[in-house]
Parts: sequence; structure tokens; C-alpha cells
Amino acid sequence: MNVTQTAAGTSCWSCNAATGGGHFCAACGKIQPLPRDANYFQFFGLPRKLVIEGSALEAKFHQLSWKLHPDNFVRAAEAERQLSLERSSQLNDAYRVLRDPVACVEYLLGLEGMRKEGAAKQQAPPELLEEVFELNESLDELRGARQSADQVEINTLRPRLQEAQKNFEGKLREVDADLAGAARDWDAAVDRGTNGNASNAERGKLLARMNDILNRRSYIRNLVSSVEQELAE
Amino acid sequence: MAYSDKVVEHYNHPRNVGSLDKKDPSVGTGLVGAPECGDVMKLQVKINPQTQVIEEAKFKTFGCGSAIASSSLATEWVKGKTVEEALSIKNTDIVRELSLPPVKIHCSVLAEDAIKAAINDWKSKQAAGVPAAEPTTAAAKQ
Ligand code: FES
Repeated sequence: MNVTQTAAGTSCWSCNAATGGGHFCAACGKIQPLPRDANYFQFFGLPRKLVIEGSALEAKFHQLSWKLHPDNFVRAAEAERQLSLERSSQLNDAYRVLRDPVACVEYLLGLEGMRKEGAAKQQAPPELLEEVFELNESLDELRGARQSADQVEINTLRPRLQEAQKNFEGKLREVDADLAGAARDWDAAVDRGTNGNASNAERGKLLARMNDILNRRSYIRNLVSSVEQELAE
Repeated sequence: MAYSDKVVEHYNHPRNVGSLDKKDPSVGTGLVGAPECGDVMKLQVKINPQTQVIEEAKFKTFGCGSAIASSSLATEWVKGKTVEEALSIKNTDIVRELSLPPVKIHCSVLAEDAIKAAINDWKSKQAAGVPAAEPTTAAAKQ
């Protein structure tokens, strides 16, 4: 039997007892395939909340990676070895996302269907686009000046870009603070909601707000790294 | 990332890079961004008000190869078209022409958005420039 293909998360592939979607069967202790709709939060037994305590997450990660590690399955059936490999790699993915606050918000928005490729989206504030574009042009000029070894031009452009860099790093901090605030509000809404779910209208609003912040952030982040790269040369 | 030949061709020889005078009333400017990656694109069109034909198009894109190719292609396509024809260009047309993979769809969306934004900018300039009987909201934006 191909264990990974079963409708997982309902009953144990080995002893048929109800598993509750855990990593191991509560009855017989066999490793289980990941339920089809499983997400990273469930993987760690966490609610869909965004403020995640780092050291507890890390402890849980170490504990799970030890339990799921393929070394424990060298003498197990082929199917179980396969499951251990799969679960271990999923564990690493899940940990990488959950421990990074920005990635975590992005992941949540993806789960909620907010970040589809090519989907209609809101444009960033025009002033921000304007600023980003102009700064990119200055970076271009700096590149050009370098190519033609125009020292005078380089000397005027550099300080201007350094100034802009500081400004944009400040913006990045602001946007990160905004995101942290929205994440706390989301968690509070989840806590208030029935069955651990925020009311739909409130959910929608918070998701849109976070989506908006992430969008602004991507322009700023992108620019900060291009400026950094250019000034480092 | 393996780019298709057409993308590479546009990337190496982008058509119509540059800019037009933003203040010219017959020029429309569209500045748009892709929140997926933070890339930005500016596309400008110069339109003959009598014939509504796009006579000139320029772009400048700070982004990936697909975005550069998409905007380069977009400027080629809109030139000689009427405003209405240009507005009917869909990002899916660009995807098809350049054989863009699914993860690069947003780059083509950027080009479609840029065409629309540029034409809208021109339209609002026109509305503002013609001493209209009733004042338009677009006039207030100028
Ligand atoms: S990856 Fe940003 S526009 Fe293509």
C-alpha cells in the first residue's frame, strides 16, 4: 500500500484507530502521512496566530525533528521511511516560515487565498512608487558614472544615495512595526472569535490590511537591497 | 530561471527604452509596481488627440527580465494602435507571445497595468485641458 496516498488524517494506515491528524498514531505509535489540508500551524500544533514565541517554537522544532528523523526509521518499512523523509522536510519548511514574522504573515495570507499569482491587486501609494522609481534611476546613474569612471558624478551621487538609503531603512522599520501591530490585532481577533476564529468581516479587514502592508514592504525591501548592493561596490 | 528566446531577445535589445516629456499634454504616463516582488515600471505614450492614435511609446522598467520583455513588447504593440485598441491588450496576450511561465505572470500584469495607467493619465489630461462645460474631477487632480 502506498501510505502517502491515503486520505490521511482520519484513521491510522496501520491500525485504523483515529489519529486526529497528529504526526504519530496515538494508538500504535506509527508515523502518519500529513493530512491533505494540513498547514504549518497545525504541523506545530499551533492555532492560526501570528505572534509566535521563538524559543518555544524552537524547542518544539528540535523535539519534532528528533522524533521524525529518518535515522529512527532505518529498520522500519519502506513506506514509513518515506513518511519520515517527507515529514522531516515539511518540518523544516514549516519552521523556516513560522519563525520569520514576515514570512509567517505571507503564509497566512496565502492560506486565506490572498496572494494568488497574477491576481488583481491594489497598487501601492503613488508617492511610494514615484520615490522608488526615482531612486532606481539614481542607482542607474551611479552605475553609468562608474562605467565611465566619472569620479565627479560618483561623488555627487553617492552621498545622495546614502541619504536615501537611511530614509528607506527607516521606512522598512516603520512598515515592520505596522506589520507587527496588525499581527497582534489578528491574534486578538482570533482569541475573541468563536471557536478560535475571528468573525468574517473582521478577518477580511485584517487580512486586507496585512496584505497592504506586505505590498508596501516588498517595494521598500527590494529597493533597500538594490541600494545596499550598489553602495557596497 | 530559463527565459524563452523571445524574452532574451527583448531583454538584450529592448525596444523603446527612454522617456517622454511628462508635462506634454499629449503624453500619458503610467507608473506601476508589482507588489509580488517590488519591481516598478514606467510606460509613456504620446497620443494624437485628433486620431486617438498612439504615435510614440517609451518605457523604463526596474525589474526582472520578463518585466523588461513585457514592457518592451507592450510599447511595440501599442504604437500605431488607437487608444481603444491599446486598452484591449491583455496580459494573457503577452504571456502567450513571450511564453512566460506561471510564476512570471505578474510581470505581464505589470505591463498591462502600465498601458492602462498611461492611457488613463492621458485621458484625465485631455479632460482637464479641454475647457469642459462641466468641471470634471480629473481636472482637480492636475
Ligand atoms: S519578478 Fe518582478 S516583475 Fe518580474
